[in-house]
Amino acid sequence: MLKSDRILAYALILPVVAAVLAFVVGPTYNVATLSLTQVVMGMERGFGTLSNFEALAADPVFGLVLKNTAIWILGGTFLCVTVGLGVGTFLAIDSRMTGWLRALILLPWVLPDVVTAMAWKWMLHGQVGIIGQTLQSWGFSEGAISFMGDPNLVMWTLVVVLIWRKMPLVALILCAAIRSVPDDQIEAARMDGANAFERFRFVTLPNIAFSLTAVTVISMIWITAEFALPWIMTGGGPANASQIMATYIYQQSFEFFNWGVASAMSVINLVMLASIVALYLYINRRSWSSEGSK
Amino acid sequence: MSNSINRRSFLKTTSAMGAASLLPAGQALAASGEISVWKFGGTPQEVEVWAQRNDAFSAANGDVSLNYSYFNGQIRRQKILAGFQTNRLADVVIAFGQDIPEFAGFGMIQPLDDIAGDRMAGWKDRIVPEVFESGMHDGKLYALPTYVDMASFLAINLDALEEAGFDRPPETWEEVREYAKAMTKPDRPGIAFPATTAPVDINIFEGIAYANGGRIFDEESGKVTLNDPGVVDALQFYVNLIEDGSTPAATSLTETFFRDTAQLFGQGRSAMWIGLSWLNTPWGVNEGIRWTGVPMPRPTAPSGSFEPVNAIMDGTAMLMVSSRSSNPEAAIEYLDFWSQNEQLEIWGGQPEIARIPAGKAAWDNAELKEAWPNWVNAYDAGTLFEGGAPMPRFIGVSAIESALGTAIQQAVLGQKTPQAALDEATAAAQGQIDLIRG
Repeated sequence: MLKSDRILAYALILPVVAAVLAFVVGPTYNVATLSLTQVVMGMERGFGTLSNFEALAADPVFGLVLKNTAIWILGGTFLCVTVGLGVGTFLAIDSRMTGWLRALILLPWVLPDVVTAMAWKWMLHGQVGIIGQTLQSWGFSEGAISFMGDPNLVMWTLVVVLIWRKMPLVALILCAAIRSVPDDQIEAARMDGANAFERFRFVTLPNIAFSLTAVTVISMIWITAEFALPWIMTGGGPANASQIMATYIYQQSFEFFNWGVASAMSVINLVMLASIVALYLYINRRSWSSEGSK
Repeated sequence: MSNSINRRSFLKTTSAMGAASLLPAGQALAASGEISVWKFGGTPQEVEVWAQRNDAFSAANGDVSLNYSYFNGQIRRQKILAGFQTNRLADVVIAFGQDIPEFAGFGMIQPLDDIAGDRMAGWKDRIVPEVFESGMHDGKLYALPTYVDMASFLAINLDALEEAGFDRPPETWEEVREYAKAMTKPDRPGIAFPATTAPVDINIFEGIAYANGGRIFDEESGKVTLNDPGVVDALQFYVNLIEDGSTPAATSLTETFFRDTAQLFGQGRSAMWIGLSWLNTPWGVNEGIRWTGVPMPRPTAPSGSFEPVNAIMDGTAMLMVSSRSSNPEAAIEYLDFWSQNEQLEIWGGQPEIARIPAGKAAWDNAELKEAWPNWVNAYDAGTLFEGGAPMPRFIGVSAIESALGTAIQQAVLGQKTPQAALDEATAAAQGQIDLIRG
């Protein structure tokens, strides 16, 4: 490569590198240092302390937050991708109905977060919610059901709303991937006597493995970053039953002005997410290599 | 396009500069330039009228350019904090009285005593002393109040009251339980109270607990006192109402915040509800529903360790000046404008009747007397603010109120007894307070 080419190449990537440094590395470094700093009444008092992490370990709510976050991220991602795969497979079938559905399914994406949260909040309300009243009138429940007020229901109810909101794009991405699977491979499997499930498992799935991995990782990141939906619908309640990392970090930093602890939680959140994604990618890459060596 | 300066504009500019240099030195102190104002929260009517009166300010102060923004009250802390951290905080912030100690402690707002000069005398003259006090912190005025809200009050459906055979509102906690039971129908609970973690819902409970001699924090000792008998028994009162079968399902109480509770009452879906002093006035009630509001009845024998109060109060439109304001003269001019009777009259019934007015003159208003005769009579008799206290306000108040909110929900849902829930909340909140205060 000529020297001038090298300079040009560096010049071209410089804006991206600068943006990443300014908007990703910089804030991450700032949060990491703040997590190791004692902050008292908004003033930084002493760097190099683990007091924020110790405070988290002693916080009785934090254990519940971790459990709820696991349901939110892992449960949400698993269900979002599983349901998305099912819906995507259905949408991949060529028919007039699926043609319309491919457009209609994006409606939950069009609505703003606040509108979605408020609409679901009222539909699920114990006294006036249409969903509880319908279930009651059909005989599934004797009394009104407060989906958002019942600590046993609230977390999974939030996950259902989350799936309604996030699943359509997952379904469309997987639908596109499924439609790109070569017909001759499926036809060959059919001629070899493979049934529908076997064709899906041994032909379609390996072909869409890359899309499936990408969409799983993206969903996990989306769901981790999702704040408006749980905050507006429950505010972390009742009795912290729906308190997750995103809402608790917000509460610690902007309601309690406890920035050190909030930063410590952000660091833990980042490490957990990075570990899960790394593990997932590692397993998938191994699986791809073994598929390739067969 | 040419950027060159023509002769006429050159002459205009130089003559204007020359004239300005010849002005007496005193003119430089007159308010001019730009100020930014952030207002947080308020009833729909208040928000509308505030913007209209801002136009009057601009008309009266042609040299001041007003840059006004309105935001939802729920986001005020993060908005103000972010503005402060990034040096973009507005010159004037209109927030809640409960925020004052933290904002002052973090150096976000400045004492008005230092910058208001002789305006202070006029403010004191026009504003009810007890309400004026609500803007004070550590002996200095940090915020100019325009009204206050009081906790706690009880809204009563008059038809339901009469149907149940009562001719007057309840006067004690025992009577509230008795009335609520009698007013309960299969499709309409006798009483509802909001029990989410929204700050107003917690303030409503605090009003009941403080009337029972409870406190959430002892400033002198620095100890969280959520498990004081006054607070525990107030929470037991909530639990008793649920166990009596007089309320909506407990799970519904924990998902329905104050505004929704008011709207359900307005639709005839509950016979009474416990709220702040404005009760249903901001949103009204359905046609055909007759209702009244009374101070929340108190226990016959308060059990708390502190002095029982008649009510707790706080303003939610208190004008504060940022410590980083680049134009404090114009900011004070804006505050002074809002201290005038023409503005304070807004809460005297023209048009807003949901709040307790700060202006002395507003209390002479006939519309206020018609809407809230009991308030006006008590004010005239000098008893309206008797035994009143500010809503909890100190550095770390949000952390304690959050722990209290969780404890209320745990007790309401039957997960823990009030004592156990508040013991746990006390320990958790003390940890947070120690961390924040260092």
